[in-house]
Amino acid sequence: MMQIVYEELIVVNLQAENAEDVIRQIGKLMNERGFVKDSYTGAALAREIESPTGLQLQNIGIAMPHAASEHVEKAGVCIAQLASPITFMHMGMPEVEVEAELIFMMAVLDPQAQLDSLQKILTVFSSSDIPIAFKQAGSKEELHQVAVTHLGIA
Amino acid sequence: MNKQVKILCVCGSGTVSSSMVAEKLKEKLGERGFAVSTVEAMPSTVDSELAAGGFSLVACVSPVYQELSIPKVNAVALLTGLGESDVIDECVRILGS
Repeated sequence: MMQIVYEELIVVNLQAENAEDVIRQIGKLMNERGFVKDSYTGAALAREIESPTGLQLQNIGIAMPHAASEHVEKAGVCIAQLASPITFMHMGMPEVEVEAELIFMMAVLDPQAQLDSLQKILTVFSSSDIPIAFKQAGSKEELHQVAVTHLGIA
Repeated sequence: MNKQVKILCVCGSGTVSSSMVAEKLKEKLGERGFAVSTVEAMPSTVDSELAAGGFSLVACVSPVYQELSIPKVNAVALLTGLGESDVIDECVRILGS
């Protein structure tokens, strides 16, 4: 089991103009923290246009932008609460819009080595209430704690 | 004895979302009596992967627009959990025939 939750990748109240701006801001943060290469943001933006990553969950809209492993330095997930919902297009249904309130931007080095983490993320997405706990966390510390509880190493 | 099936999982980068879909298919179809092996691909590599043969199904979370020689299902529900059982039922119907 690999660690993917880091306090330095937890963001609350992210102000952004649109989906591209979200990806640019978080990509920059992940790059500055050493999780992704300089090429990651551009690759994630290109991927988002070709194959969007918005997901309408039971009680909340989210997005999980990411780029291929070749752009990644270190495994991690940036979890960001948006100050106000941002429109992403839905994964697999590019004509459907999602008003995303949470972003899970992933840096995956080796999917096979990180299957436990990916499964934990899927469990969060499929839950009716856990994503709401991510949304309602009132501070960076609280959001980090929620993330550790649900995505951390046991 | 579980029925062996091979599924091509397609997402934009051919890594992250497709691996999530692959794990879900192995788990859920395993419960329905299938031994699932998967290969992950991106839309641009679907045709070359399929040419290798042996696939029963393509599970996509990224749009695949071209005509395929085998059935294709939209697997996004496996990531959100919404309508997941419908997708699994559809896979079972295709794989069982």
